[in-house]
Amino acid sequence: MTSRPAAWYSPRAMLSRRAAWTIGAAKAVTAALVALGVFAGLPARWWPVDVPAAVLVALEAAAAFGLFSGARWAANAARFGAAVALALGALAVSCLAVTATWLSGVYGAVGRGGAIVLALVAALVLPYLVVLPAAQLLWLGSSGRRAASGRS
Amino acid sequence: MSVRALARLLLVWVVATAVVCALVHRAFALHVRDAPIGVVVSAWSAGQLVGRWVMSREGARDAAIDASLASHPGATRVDEAVVAEGPVVSWSDTALALSFVPGRDGVSATYGDRTAFVTPDELLARQAYDHGVSFPWLQLSVGVDVPVLLALLSERLGAPARDVLERATLRRIRVVRTVAGPPPPPRTTARTMTDADLKAAAFDAAAYLARGVDAQGRFRYLVDAPTNKTLSGYDWPRHAGATYFLAQIARVSGDADVRFATLRAAGYLRDHAMVACGANRCIGDAPVVDVGSTALAVVAFIEVLGADLDASYALLVPELTAFLRSQQRPDGEFMHEYDRDAGHPIDVQLLYYSGEAALALSRAHARFGDPRDLVAASRAVARLTGPGWAFFGSRYYWGEEHWTCQAVDDLWDRAPDRAALDFCLGWQAFSRKLQYGPGDTAYDADGAYGFGPILTPRLTPAGSRTEAAIATLRAARRAGVGEAELGELEQQARRGLALLLRHQFRPGPTHLFDDPAAVEGAMPGSEVDWQLRIDYAQHAGCAMVRWLELGRPDAPEPALQAH
Repeated sequence: MTSRPAAWYSPRAMLSRRAAWTIGAAKAVTAALVALGVFAGLPARWWPVDVPAAVLVALEAAAAFGLFSGARWAANAARFGAAVALALGALAVSCLAVTATWLSGVYGAVGRGGAIVLALVAALVLPYLVVLPAAQLLWLGSSGRRAASGRS
Repeated sequence: MSVRALARLLLVWVVATAVVCALVHRAFALHVRDAPIGVVVSAWSAGQLVGRWVMSREGARDAAIDASLASHPGATRVDEAVVAEGPVVSWSDTALALSFVPGRDGVSATYGDRTAFVTPDELLARQAYDHGVSFPWLQLSVGVDVPVLLALLSERLGAPARDVLERATLRRIRVVRTVAGPPPPPRTTARTMTDADLKAAAFDAAAYLARGVDAQGRFRYLVDAPTNKTLSGYDWPRHAGATYFLAQIARVSGDADVRFATLRAAGYLRDHAMVACGANRCIGDAPVVDVGSTALAVVAFIEVLGADLDASYALLVPELTAFLRSQQRPDGEFMHEYDRDAGHPIDVQLLYYSGEAALALSRAHARFGDPRDLVAASRAVARLTGPGWAFFGSRYYWGEEHWTCQAVDDLWDRAPDRAALDFCLGWQAFSRKLQYGPGDTAYDADGAYGFGPILTPRLTPAGSRTEAAIATLRAARRAGVGEAELGELEQQARRGLALLLRHQFRPGPTHLFDDPAAVEGAMPGSEVDWQLRIDYAQHAGCAMVRWLELGRPDAPEPALQAH
């Protein structure tokens, strides 16, 4: 069994300070937006939305804290948080799209107003819960590989 | 994760979502049949279903049907041909509730070897549409009332409701309804609508309200149309608004019933609701009263004077306008409540009241010439259309300004305010973006306002916005606004009026009403909401009167003249 280099676990070693702060800030913003959107914006509590949102907020906030403080576990937490965000975001967008499609199947035309509302909701979810975590996964993945191979 | 792996994963997700969407749409869209699957024949008497048969073709004769109709004199035969069907989602009450287009879709349930139908007529008679999923914070309810739906199926299939939900095969059905009797009149559109239609409709709306004014002067505030039962609740601003509309019709029609009803309703305000508010008098019966009740009472009393019904109301108006002026802040806004016990105004703002107060003061000035009323009305309009609605994004978001824009029009000849008119033109342009066109929804909604497919378009906003559109058009003509914008406003108003004409109960689906004559002329809340509140008929009727009194370039004489 080969041991991993210690640098793999150190965000400072695999991410520059600027990169760690940038990703940390993105995660903090994501956590805040999800918390605000779900727990302040949605007027009713429903566990299928609330529980995943709470888990995501906790993961993203913890990853942000780890990245800001340079914790050894930060990179893994950031990567795991991004993967969870991407999975939940993809699921949310798919659910929204399927629901919209079901409604248009039942009711016929959704009308211009309805189409705009649905597009706006998708547009709000996509950047923060699909595009951003995907970009983080790429960045963290490539940084991790660079760190593992000893390249800077 | 590598770029390639992530890209592959995302591509799979996008394709899978697209495929699922296509399959869901295909599965849940109605499957239209070349020939009706069956024809549900119903016999209705006084709003009650007294006979039900399923036939193979429309108009088919059957001894049992004939016998049933013969045993219920006055019963109506209704054939509902099932022309399309589709699946429903039954594992979730919310999804099941939203699986039916209100007013269009019913349900078939197959349980063992039995199949039962619940048709749109039955759901309308039970007022089961738009009572499924409630959003109290939005004061909104959508979807079919699932317990009512299951109770109907349970009764028909002879099985417990839970069994019906869990073991029966439910499908939604689309029907085409044929009611025995003379054919329905052609569908009214913005193009085919005539002034004669509007005049008759406005008079019928007033006649409906007048029939509901009791000996004391109280309206039947809220009526369930299918059962003709009066429901609980009352509201002074709406009482005053309905009195205003009755007085308008009393003025132009001279109808004795409407005139007496107007006097009773106005008298009820005067004798039961006019109370001391500090040094002034106001309208209300609670320790805390609102400005809207007084404002609309002023509008109503002035209309009573205009109709030459009772000159004594001239003595009351100055007392009420003094109260309104005392509620105005230095910046023109109104404090909307007054604490009678503590003897001071409460500086809160609620929907509609400032616009109503501005209109009341403008009308009072036009009638009595007190310059303080003109100043107060002008300051209110300037505030409401200026600093009162000035924030980042205020060009993209609007409140309900129908009273404000009526005040802008009312003031135009005495205190024109171009900025206020621009505000109203902007609001109407915004409203036109929300105005449904033909084919935008599954409903008969051309001319209504709203968005999205689920919400059944409400008719009251159509009435109030049409009222305001006509007022804005009137002011815009005098201000020399361009022909293109005038044309858009006129078309917007015409589409709104045609919508109101199509949905007013003249006489409506009489077979579903216990007493059709009692609700004739009423305006429902929507295509499927048949709880009749007095302001529904008032806003629609006032819009019709405004249009008829507008006069048009091609017809300089207004279509509605004082009797």
